[in-house]
Amino acid sequence: MPYGMNSTILKINLNSEKIVENNLNDEIFHKYLGGRGLGIKLFSDSVPKNINPLSKENILIFSIGPLTGSVTPTSGRFSLVTKSPLTDTIFHSNSGGFWGPYFKKCGYDSLFITGKLSSENKGYLLIEDYDKVEIKDAENLWGLKTSETLEKIQKVEGKNCQVLCIGPAGENLVKISSIMNQANRAFGRGGVGAVMGSKNLKAIVVKSGNKKFEGKNKERLKKLRINAIDKIKVVPITSQGLTLFGTAALVKVINQFGMFPINNFQSAYTEPNKIDLVSGEHLRERFLEGNEGCYNCIIRCGRMTNTGEKSGKGPEYESLWALGPLTGIFDLKTITHANYSCNEYGLDTISTGSTIACGMELQQQGLLNEHSLKFGNNDMLCDLIEKIALKKEFGADLAEGSLRLSKKYKGESYSMQVKGMEIPAYDPRGAFGHALNYAVSSRGACHLTGFLVALEVLGVPKKIDRFSVRGKSDLLFLKQNQSAVEDSLVVCKFVGYALGFEFQARFLSTILDKKISITDLITIGERIYTLERLFNVREGFSRKDDTLPKRFLETPLQKGPSNGRVVPLEDLLNEYYEVRNWDKNGIPTDELLEKLSLEKLT
Amino acid sequence: MIDQETYKQFKVVGKVLTDHRYNTSHSGNISMRAGGKILIKRRGAMLGFLEPEDIIETDLYKADSGIMLSSTETDVHRQIYLNTDAMAVIHAHNPFCVILSLIEDEITCLDAEGIYAYRKIPIIEVDNPAGPTDAAREVPKVLKDYPIVVVRAHGVFAKGNTLLDALQNVTGAEQSAMFRYYTMLIGKPLKRDYSKEKFFSEW
Repeated sequence: MPYGMNSTILKINLNSEKIVENNLNDEIFHKYLGGRGLGIKLFSDSVPKNINPLSKENILIFSIGPLTGSVTPTSGRFSLVTKSPLTDTIFHSNSGGFWGPYFKKCGYDSLFITGKLSSENKGYLLIEDYDKVEIKDAENLWGLKTSETLEKIQKVEGKNCQVLCIGPAGENLVKISSIMNQANRAFGRGGVGAVMGSKNLKAIVVKSGNKKFEGKNKERLKKLRINAIDKIKVVPITSQGLTLFGTAALVKVINQFGMFPINNFQSAYTEPNKIDLVSGEHLRERFLEGNEGCYNCIIRCGRMTNTGEKSGKGPEYESLWALGPLTGIFDLKTITHANYSCNEYGLDTISTGSTIACGMELQQQGLLNEHSLKFGNNDMLCDLIEKIALKKEFGADLAEGSLRLSKKYKGESYSMQVKGMEIPAYDPRGAFGHALNYAVSSRGACHLTGFLVALEVLGVPKKIDRFSVRGKSDLLFLKQNQSAVEDSLVVCKFVGYALGFEFQARFLSTILDKKISITDLITIGERIYTLERLFNVREGFSRKDDTLPKRFLETPLQKGPSNGRVVPLEDLLNEYYEVRNWDKNGIPTDELLEKLSLEKLT
Repeated sequence: MIDQETYKQFKVVGKVLTDHRYNTSHSGNISMRAGGKILIKRRGAMLGFLEPEDIIETDLYKADSGIMLSSTETDVHRQIYLNTDAMAVIHAHNPFCVILSLIEDEITCLDAEGIYAYRKIPIIEVDNPAGPTDAAREVPKVLKDYPIVVVRAHGVFAKGNTLLDALQNVTGAEQSAMFRYYTMLIGKPLKRDYSKEKFFSEW
């Protein structure tokens, strides 16, 4: 068994309520690590072609990694893999907090949930320790919001437990629903809450087990940690920016580069006095009560806020943007309340805001007859969020996500999505490498799988020209592979601003007591990324799906520092396929599969 | 967006520092006070090839979200502005100053220009020479009384009324350090040591 892992999968078949523990082959670990990589491997080995993501055939796989719960800074994270009802692609997501380290201490690497509980027998899963697992009745939890669910579960199971749960949105199979972690963090994007809802599974509760991880190199790890903390404290992004202002520190920065989408991406820049209204500074001054961090994190970017009327967590940058300026709303209190509401109902904030913004543009273009749907209309936002979660009235259309909404009302070009998933808070016309990542990401428009904004805007590790084309694919290839590794170790992406990738390799080598080079890790990342592509190819995805909405290819921005730009996608894409060793249609070549010891999925 | 004149100053100073090999391709940072704000070089940008969008505006009095883009040593610059008469600040890795900081506790000037401008250049030591936290606390204390200070094993922080004024201090100190270094290397006694006559070490 590799150090840092348990080599055991906990398999739950909800059809039969059968719970078994399976050994995990060490070879899988060496080829895929844990977290996302492990989940992707287990998932693609187990799921037949073209299943309905909301059927009992779909699988939810939660996995920890070799660094989860270790002394490595920001090691509280864990990953989820499933098939998305929003995109129909393979899907991964990850979350922080404490659930992952608790689960690891129970002696498991993965939780593999298949099948479905009957609708008369809704349940929640309780994992107390190794071999102490049961499915409990959740009838009295069904219909509750996430904070109510958390409270009720903690009453029964005690305060010292970590709870993943869905809200009404997941129960109602809303395609933009999330799985919430302690009611305020999320496994966001892709409608993963609906997958859990389709299984009639309300929550997964874990208590901290008793397993201890005594590595061989305790002293070396300690020294490595001291070095890592030193670096985190030196870099302003991790020592000040994220700590003081949370991820909302990006609001003014991204606007400054003319990449801050407003009114459904109709523009991407606003005047300084207006952007101040929704800035991280403003959020801090008006509503911040304190900040909080995940397991073993000194960055502590989490916001604990109070508006005077309500209190809760967030909003983070993407949520603030999607529920705010993207819908034309610049009132911070309305945005903060909308964010609380999304957390309570278990909705993905980016997709919720973006789908509403799409609806607003459809209305603007005369394709809808919903008069309250107007850019900048504060009054309707929270009400609409409830309607989406409960699939009430027009909310039922919005609950399908922007692509399905726009198709229904014959305005597909107003849906700002890729492969069905809504585009996050960086206008692709302002950073071409980042644009390419949106187009090719295996889970649809995603900012996390290859965050080239780090180089193109933030200058980490070094600034590059955000409008250049040549070489962007190579950098994206590297970033995507690194990202796949980070999601498999599992550590937070923010630590990457301070610690180069060599730190991840050193921590891993020290924990495993085996030399793993950066190059080894990049190859593992490439293998994970390629396997995701193979899965999507089997499901019918190809070059035709690696694209961006027409707006970004044909309509130049009219204002701000990215004025006049459109994305030269074809050039970027051609180069990217070459770099990835995929053919012209975006299919991984036999040569690549041989290099990575992969086979086509059948 | 920054005005052309200010940008020109940043560009010239950045280029001079790079051409003199005081910095690596991306290290070093320069800033100036402007209307209750600090204009400072962007992190990750090349000092010798600055573009207008490489000059970042951040608050003078407290950290703001400009910190996401601005130089790693922004806090040192801020504390210098808040605690001294500096209107512009340059941080560079002057080779001769750094070499002497490894073996001496101050750089006593032997040359006429150094004698005239600085007499001696103080050297300070901090626990984490690469980290801005200690430097932000210690550097302003010295710059209250001196135009330039060397942080042992790291580099210099110089102040000035303008960026060009600060640049003069950086280049002048480096020249004095170079003269001293070569004199030490030769190993022969000085014919006349002006520093002793004027008690520079007590300056």
